[in-house]
Amino acid sequence: MKSLKKDYAKLKELLIRAYHEKEKPEVDELWQVRVMSHVRSLGPISSRERYFMLFEQSVWRLVPVTCLLILVLAAFLIKLDLIPDYEMAKLFIDDPLEFIFVEWFGV
Amino acid sequence: MDNGSSKPSDAEIVRRVIEGEINAFESLLLRYKDHVLEVVKKHVPYNEVEETAHDVFVRAYQSLSTFKGRSSFKQWLSAIAVRTCYDFWRKRYRSREVPMSSLTEEHQEWLERVVSNRSGQSFDDKASQREARELLDWALDRLSPGDRMVLELVYLEGLSGREAADLLGWTVANVKVRSLRARRRLHNLLA
Repeated sequence: MKSLKKDYAKLKELLIRAYHEKEKPEVDELWQVRVMSHVRSLGPISSRERYFMLFEQSVWRLVPVTCLLILVLAAFLIKLDLIPDYEMAKLFIDDPLEFIFVEWFGV
Repeated sequence: MDNGSSKPSDAEIVRRVIEGEINAFESLLLRYKDHVLEVVKKHVPYNEVEETAHDVFVRAYQSLSTFKGRSSFKQWLSAIAVRTCYDFWRKRYRSREVPMSSLTEEHQEWLERVVSNRSGQSFDDKASQREARELLDWALDRLSPGDRMVLELVYLEGLSGREAADLLGWTVANVKVRSLRARRRLHNLLA
């Protein structure tokens, strides 16, 4: 077991060395010119994009709060017993005359 | 008279670029070109480094409005570089065929030599370095892009879970799970 650990440690050391000694290509001025050419082709960072980015950042931050608010409101509405009120409103809309008779004469 | 010897800060240049002075971005490019190449060369193949570094700077330009100065510009740019490398492997992973080859005989022999520590075999010779690099690339190719990036950052570069998570934009828990999994896989592949 000790020998296996030692082997892994040795191997790790060699792999790390191989990883860090990887060759880095030299880039010339042409590469810089190409990058800047690409950047210029994108145009200036417009106010619209800036504001859209800011807006996007703000909106996503509000999502958890909004979800929580929806849950709280739903619980509150259920507690207030609004569903029967909804059913009555539906009755009235479907047949206003019958609704009025029921209300006034208990028929 | 101001001799203009003081260099503008990164934040100052970023502000100017956002306000429309696109050419000012070249200052950032020159300042951090070597750093980005250093980061990228560790993660992508040699022949892809230039193009990937190009993508890093283009992405950095496009995301410049999101730089808030909470970290240094160098750190912010490093995160973009790491994520661009990750995206490189994701694209490649989606389009490549499943690799069927196992460890070559040459690599197996190298492994045996390394662990048995035979005399006369030094890692300093170019052939050994090349073999080690090929072996590492072979093993890394067998990991998913996410596991690969985490292994490189945590196991090979020695970053903490938090540092790797910040660079990748992931949770620390995700990084830790992937790190453990990738390390096990690497050991199994090379065993």
